[in-house]
Amino acid sequence: MKRTLIIFFTLLVLASLVVAAEIKLDVKEHMLPNGMKILMIPKPGVPRVVCHIYFKVGSINERPGITGLAHIHEHMMFKGTKMMGVTDSAKDAEIDRKIDELMDKVYREKYWKADGGDKVKLAQWQKEFEELVKSEKPYVIKDEMWNLYMKNGGTALNASTGNENTGYYVTLPANKIELQMLLESDRMLNAYFREFYSEKDVIMEERRLSENRPGYFFSEQVNAAFYAASPYHWDVIGWMDDLKKVTKADLLEFHNKYYVPNNCAAIYVGDFDPQNIVQMAEKYFGRVPKGPDVEPIRTYEPPQYGEKRMYGEGPAATSLQMMFHTPQAGHPDAAPLSVLASILGGGGGGFRGFEPGPKASLTAPSTIVGQRGGGFGGGGGTGRLNKILVQEKQLAVSASASSRGQWYVGAFQFSASPRLDKNVLPEDLEKEIWAEVEKIKKEGVTPEEIQKAKNRAEAMFIRSLGSTSGLAGSVGRAELNRGWRSILTDYEDLKKVTNEDIKRVTAKYFVKDNGLTAIYKRKMGR
Amino acid sequence: MKKTLTIFLAIGFLCVSLGLAQAQKPSDLKFSPLKYDPPDPKAFRTLFANGLRGYIEEDHNLPLINVSAIVNFGGLYLSKDKQGLDSVMSGTMIRGGTKTKEGTAIEERIDFLGGSLNFMVGERTATLSLSVLSKDLDEGLGLFFDVLMNSEFREGPLNLTKVRLIQQLRQANEQPSGVLSREYEKLLYGEGPLTWQPTQKTYEGLTSADLKAIHAQYFFPKNIILTASGDFVKADLKAKIEKHIANWQNKNVKFPAFSKQFPQPEPGVYFIQMPINQGYINIGHLGLEDTNPDYFAVQVMNFILGGGSFSSRITMKVRSDEGLSYNQGSRFSYRWGFPGTFSGYVQTKSSTVGYAISLIENEFNRIRRESVLDAEMDTAINYYLESFPGSFETAQSRISTFANLEMTGRPMDYYKTYRDKISAVTKAKVQEVANKYILPDKLVVMIVGDWEPSNKGGEQWPGPLAKLGKVHRINLRDPLTGEEIK
Repeated sequence: MKRTLIIFFTLLVLASLVVAAEIKLDVKEHMLPNGMKILMIPKPGVPRVVCHIYFKVGSINERPGITGLAHIHEHMMFKGTKMMGVTDSAKDAEIDRKIDELMDKVYREKYWKADGGDKVKLAQWQKEFEELVKSEKPYVIKDEMWNLYMKNGGTALNASTGNENTGYYVTLPANKIELQMLLESDRMLNAYFREFYSEKDVIMEERRLSENRPGYFFSEQVNAAFYAASPYHWDVIGWMDDLKKVTKADLLEFHNKYYVPNNCAAIYVGDFDPQNIVQMAEKYFGRVPKGPDVEPIRTYEPPQYGEKRMYGEGPAATSLQMMFHTPQAGHPDAAPLSVLASILGGGGGGFRGFEPGPKASLTAPSTIVGQRGGGFGGGGGTGRLNKILVQEKQLAVSASASSRGQWYVGAFQFSASPRLDKNVLPEDLEKEIWAEVEKIKKEGVTPEEIQKAKNRAEAMFIRSLGSTSGLAGSVGRAELNRGWRSILTDYEDLKKVTNEDIKRVTAKYFVKDNGLTAIYKRKMGR
Repeated sequence: MKKTLTIFLAIGFLCVSLGLAQAQKPSDLKFSPLKYDPPDPKAFRTLFANGLRGYIEEDHNLPLINVSAIVNFGGLYLSKDKQGLDSVMSGTMIRGGTKTKEGTAIEERIDFLGGSLNFMVGERTATLSLSVLSKDLDEGLGLFFDVLMNSEFREGPLNLTKVRLIQQLRQANEQPSGVLSREYEKLLYGEGPLTWQPTQKTYEGLTSADLKAIHAQYFFPKNIILTASGDFVKADLKAKIEKHIANWQNKNVKFPAFSKQFPQPEPGVYFIQMPINQGYINIGHLGLEDTNPDYFAVQVMNFILGGGSFSSRITMKVRSDEGLSYNQGSRFSYRWGFPGTFSGYVQTKSSTVGYAISLIENEFNRIRRESVLDAEMDTAINYYLESFPGSFETAQSRISTFANLEMTGRPMDYYKTYRDKISAVTKAKVQEVANKYILPDKLVVMIVGDWEPSNKGGEQWPGPLAKLGKVHRINLRDPLTGEEIK
């Protein structure tokens, strides 16, 4: 019997030990018959396990009219299932159906009519809506899933949505992984979206929080101008109009299309026996039926054919941004661009195996930082731009560069803030950066600079292996795009970068017709 | 086909025999017991010849080494005319160089090795942290101790740091969340060492001599706890460190004395005008110290009130039920040697500012008035017990936890007894501490937002805000001059 078991697992678990230089990343893989990938990184020690699930869906899978929906959906996944969060699911469903029918009328009146509809009618419907919501309350068990995780010692509990993927996170005691498998497979199978309309209000508040950050509106417009056609054009949070008008029907369509096992990967990092994980995954995730194949996005960014410039002013610090279109992660030019960002930007290194991080979360994140970008490069103490512009010429208070190798399109960005006490303008820094770029096109960079970037990448890679949740995030996300081994091949590519490569990519991508320059000036006080 | 079937049946039989039947609902799940004893700080503690204390743990999982020095020095120890020295020191401790090396050379070398060397001054501790590959241990340690012992704060880098910080000062009134936390503390603690702010003048007045004097005063072996974890042999590392610090002299330092008496602000509404579309709100008063025996009961109480995210009452009511906000809750903050603050918090659109505040105040009153539910107690206590091992996940987190415990003078068996103290909290105790540490007649409500729409309110809660208490309009100060903006 025991032997059968061993053979069984030898067949099912493909242990993949990949060695990059002397560094090992040991990920065990298992594919369920329904196409769901289970990844495991055992780390014996403290009896806790990081449990993440990533779905290959994000804001780039939206279209005008439903922007922000991937993130709304992520919030709604915590609103219960047919089994969780409800006392009598039949009675609850009956009321929920009435709410949806009523809100369909409201939306048609309010949003389809140019004058905003009949105010009297809308007020009456609003009252009916409030009555229905009140009558549903006795059947709703608030946040039952969340409570169960907390009660069982779940920490780092959160979810987040990025441009390209959506993740659901919890870290549990090692003896309670089965709880995660049960709850997560249940919401893949039986998600039921209660309290949709009040949750949209929550998300609009989340958007307002961003809006009140100095410089947010300008930065949102810069991004939209930079990406004219590709769905990276809108922020993960979505446009306010769409948040208001998106419907329950849109949500269900989105869920059915993207939340299928063949469009996701689960990853476990911590103190466990992989055989147990596989057994449990077969049992719980294995019961979710395979869905139709998901088509990748269609619209990439077309060539720009003209320089773009934007000017703005407001309460944020005076600054300059220069952005250039670059290829997606995995393209042969991506590694030289990463090394260049590390050389110019200094503080961030060039290892790009780590996929860009999430951008909008379920709760104000404590451990998972959701911020724009997730680039590689940095604020740069020893970077070339800092040395020249901050230390030697004393024209800037900061100067950095970063390279973002996203899944479908890339971006390289220079950022700098001028010395106001010396009356330096952002335009002055722009000239200085162009001069440096032109110099690199001709001469390239020094061998020491390249070696430093490579050393930094190596050390950063090793450090990344020490963080359980960071590792789960990078391996899980990478799996959905080019496979988790791309972390290692990207790292290998980076080690091969030469000065000729740097000169080539600088000449190819840093031309005015391929970029956008954004100049922002601080206007005193709000 | 037959073979597949046999294997299939064998697997099925195995699953059943191993008790692996699929649970249909969470209550069907049975978890095997899990025992975890926290590590003993004594196992890691080391004393060096000249009195430097250390916590050291070997960890050979990765070829990395992390070393930190935690110094008993912080911004709190600065006089009013030297405000900003903490930030300037953070920016120049490394970049300002040492007696024998330029700062840029140190940074360049650390960066070339793929390492990191960072320095940060906090309220009462300053920390220098090194991370290098284990092959670079000797060079890394050399740079680390050179900076720690011989920092020189040269003029050039010092001036660049001052320019950057002064430029940052201009933004100090633009971020609503930053303005709220700064002004809330100022209201609760009054003017004093805990709330003084730097200005352009105090930054400009700071000299290299000031920084050297502070360094000479506080940076000596007996005033520091060292932590080291990673891929080394403990005895070897210890010997190397002893060599670096052999000639490092101890000093006598007299720490400034601080009053723990703070002015009681007049209860009511404190409004700060900013033309934004939400109100950023704190509601509360001073809290307690984490050395208070009630600390554990307060943790449990606050989890239920507003600290336990979606498992807490404020989040359930304000966010889930009403859709008023994305971020809300309650918190007790703690600071070494002083009572921290207690606050309910929320950010909500201007028209629902008053309504959200009223809902949070209702929850303050309810937890004082009524006993909490068994289910709420169960979730809160189990959360703390079951998540406990998470504090010790990495060697680095283990030893820095212990070093901080020793630095702040808390008992070294804190973690050993932690779970017993949490388990001992009862419903009656929760209600007792709710009444003792949430004081409705002392509440101040601070709002950063747009006055007109906030004061007007909405359908559920029409204004004015004066319904919540006497309204005080606060004028911010110009961050560059420290003068009130009229």
